[in-house]
Amino acid sequence: MAELNIDNVYKSFGETHILKGINLSIQDGEFVILVGPSGCGKSTLLNCIAGLEEVTDGRIVIGKDDVTHAAPKDRDIAMVFQSYALYPNMNVRKNIAFGLEIRKMPKEEIDAEVHRVAKLLQIEPLLDRKPSQLSGGQRQRVAMGRALARRPKTYLFDEPLSNLDAKLRVEMRTEMKKLHQRLGTTIVYVTHDQIEAMTLADRIAVMKGGVVQQFGTPQEVYDDPANIFVAGFMGSPSMNFLNCEVTESGGNYAVQVDSEGRIFQLPIDPKQADLSQYLGKTVILGIRPEQITHVMPHVEAEPFVTKVPVKIEVTEPTGADTLVLARINDQECECRVHPTEAGKPGEMMEMLFNMSKAVFFDPETEERL
Amino acid sequence: MSVSNKKGLDYWLPKLVVSPTVAITVIFFYGFVIWTAVLSFTKSRILPQYEFVGFDQYVRLFLNDRWMGALTNLLVFGVLFIAICMIVGLIMAVLLDQNIRAEGALRTIYLYPMALSFIVTGTVWKWLLNPTVGIERFIRSLGWDSFTFDWIIDPNMAIYTIVIAGVWQASGFVMAIFLAGLRGIDTSIIKAAQLDGASLFSVYTRIIIPSMRPVFFSAFIMLAHIAIKSFDLIIALTGGGPGNSTDVPAIFMYQFSFQRGQLGMGAASAIIMLMTVLAILVPYLYSELRTPKNG
Amino acid sequence: MAKTTDPRYSPITGRAILYGVLIVIALYYLMPLALMVVTSLRSMDEIRLGQLIEWPDAITFEAWKIAWNEAQIGARDELGLRPYFINSIIMVIPSVAISTLLGALNGYVLSFWKFRGSELFFAALLLGCFLPFQAILLPQSQLLGWLGLTGTIPGLVLTHVVYGVSFTTLFFRNYYVNLPHELIKAAKLDGAGFWMIFFRIILPLSAPILVVTVIWQFTQIWNDFLFGVVFSDPDSQPVTVGLNNLVNSATGEKRYNVDMAGAIIAALPTILVYVLAGKYFVRGLTAGSVKG
Repeated sequence: MAELNIDNVYKSFGETHILKGINLSIQDGEFVILVGPSGCGKSTLLNCIAGLEEVTDGRIVIGKDDVTHAAPKDRDIAMVFQSYALYPNMNVRKNIAFGLEIRKMPKEEIDAEVHRVAKLLQIEPLLDRKPSQLSGGQRQRVAMGRALARRPKTYLFDEPLSNLDAKLRVEMRTEMKKLHQRLGTTIVYVTHDQIEAMTLADRIAVMKGGVVQQFGTPQEVYDDPANIFVAGFMGSPSMNFLNCEVTESGGNYAVQVDSEGRIFQLPIDPKQADLSQYLGKTVILGIRPEQITHVMPHVEAEPFVTKVPVKIEVTEPTGADTLVLARINDQECECRVHPTEAGKPGEMMEMLFNMSKAVFFDPETEERL
Repeated sequence: MSVSNKKGLDYWLPKLVVSPTVAITVIFFYGFVIWTAVLSFTKSRILPQYEFVGFDQYVRLFLNDRWMGALTNLLVFGVLFIAICMIVGLIMAVLLDQNIRAEGALRTIYLYPMALSFIVTGTVWKWLLNPTVGIERFIRSLGWDSFTFDWIIDPNMAIYTIVIAGVWQASGFVMAIFLAGLRGIDTSIIKAAQLDGASLFSVYTRIIIPSMRPVFFSAFIMLAHIAIKSFDLIIALTGGGPGNSTDVPAIFMYQFSFQRGQLGMGAASAIIMLMTVLAILVPYLYSELRTPKNG
Repeated sequence: MAKTTDPRYSPITGRAILYGVLIVIALYYLMPLALMVVTSLRSMDEIRLGQLIEWPDAITFEAWKIAWNEAQIGARDELGLRPYFINSIIMVIPSVAISTLLGALNGYVLSFWKFRGSELFFAALLLGCFLPFQAILLPQSQLLGWLGLTGTIPGLVLTHVVYGVSFTTLFFRNYYVNLPHELIKAAKLDGAGFWMIFFRIILPLSAPILVVTVIWQFTQIWNDFLFGVVFSDPDSQPVTVGLNNLVNSATGEKRYNVDMAGAIIAALPTILVYVLAGKYFVRGLTAGSVKG
């Protein structure tokens, strides 16, 4: 029983308001990721959950216990830090055992626990080394080992992979996911890397300015962003945002785009948005690059797909796909095409705009329509 | 699970631990400075008494020729001591920065006087500067009969002997500060300048030294602080003499307070010394504290 | 120093000049010390007849013996610098220990257990680094009088602790703020409290700054003259005061060899520390100046 409830939490430092009413209800065993740009309050929130920062207002409940004012050690929480925070003066064994010693666990049990954890993380050969003698990846494992040894109800991870090089980061990501599947404990994980968030999380809380913008599964957050910020933050390359006028064509709403002086109507899937209030007004069309592709016969036949010739400004090959930067409505628009189909800069190229997953935002509030 | 109160031991302990030092700061620093200030407004002589006479002691102080002489001496000594230490220290630092083989040993030699007591320095230089046994006699014995180096017994020149001994003691310290500053400069800037065709000389004068402004600043503050407080060196070297020709405020304060039974005037002179330090320090601290903090 | 015409020769002559200058400067710094040592090993007859710079005909430790325990210094019963030297040792050990311990604890709190007003406290404390001690001499002597500590070694210890704690706190605080804060967070989550974190994690990491602080404090307190001359009686005077009395109070002929031997005796502990741990000494000097 270790669901974690964060109930209307506020945190201010003097006049600076870092957290402005956070509500998250995290289920037992769930892997939740807090993601957002730096300064969004995600690390502060994690520190508040850990008890390293006192909340200004609100409640934090772990399981059935209200721990809002409890000391960190009484919350049954373990945390892995970005810098790993291994005690430099102790060897790996001592690092892992320290928390157990303080909790006055008998010596034999500590030894057994250290070995269990070391085996789990495959760091047994490192037990007698000092942190300074370990590589980045090894330190990361030891930091996890220290957290695992206490068998807490909840784990907190503060950007644990961001100090690793790219390749190791991907490896550890996989390992972390396996570990969670094995342990089944609740994890709250902070990162600024949206790919990490997408790949690891059961649910993602996207934060900005001390407010949770959206809390949902990775797919929900990706396909159904609550506002322009979430839409733009999640996904790489980022979603295209185009200011478009709403028109009516053949009993269906459409948005109007201009490519090299030619006007096209892109009919809209009514499931995606009701734009009746916006007829004749401007909305922001959000469309991901993979929804704008080169011409493929089987796609072309689908509903809400429109063919538009665009002028190529820049091409960026990524290997699997090539990103084509075009100009639509005098705004930049990225399209994702097969490498062999991509044209050259300056050329015209026909693109299929698939509107079945397009989303729309109010230009004033930037909220989803 | 029991939930402990946050205002537990870990809340009070840090405050408890620093409380003795807070008391020290409040009582021994600020309290005592205020107390000295209060004394300076009383007519205290041998013993403190609290009959207030306004600024009388300050008026007497500045009408006192010895005090004015002490201030003049401090000014002469301070300016020369700081300027020469900075120049010598900088030159030594730049020379040592040329990839010198025995840098460690040389640095050790240049800096060791800083480990000595000013009393020791004063004792040695008093002997060396004594014309009848020291350098003057030595040079004369080499055949230069008219050689004269008797500043220490010449009331007009004695203050410069303080400068000589002071520079000998403190210039290595300035060298160490400057050398640390030189080493702290991003080497890619120097490489870039050399690619631009700058000579070693202009790399130093145009790029490195100007970028060490903060280091100059702190060296200046430290030297000014040493100069204003200087007491032991002068006591040991000249004892303030010949006559009162090497008197400085620190000696004046000591003698008037503890030997002549003029507590009120001694306190007034101490407050003037404090004001001088603050006048130099406050702008410095202000600029330091305005720079963004880390964390 | 700038690049000159013939690249084959100029660097070599340039380097030679450079080394020459550096060695001359080194000789200038070494000369007084060397003359001190040589003179202390000569007899007074030799000095009277001979030269300032001259190797002793016969090395004698007579002057050292006189300076150590035979010279009449002031009106004291005990002879020589020995009692002063012992006073300095008795004074310096508790002064250094207490001020360093206080500094470590203050630095620890000011870095990791900040509270409302702790920054203000630190700023206020820093005044102590720059306070001209003349501004507190009168009240301090009054206070020592009230406490019955006038002219005693405990009185000197109290004074040195009080006016040394600014520097020791500054040293430790500046060292600790550069330790990763997450260490403390991790230890708190591991269940460690204030003292446990200090003794098990912070103190074991403090060795370098501990050495710097101890050396700095030792040098400062050993070399102090002002507090020694103001706050002590003949029975409790430190060696710096003893040396000054030795040099200035002797009647009759000046015995330079004794003066120099006395100066070396007074300087020996700090020179020894400097030679053995110069690296830390320099670090203390620069830490005390470059950054606040």
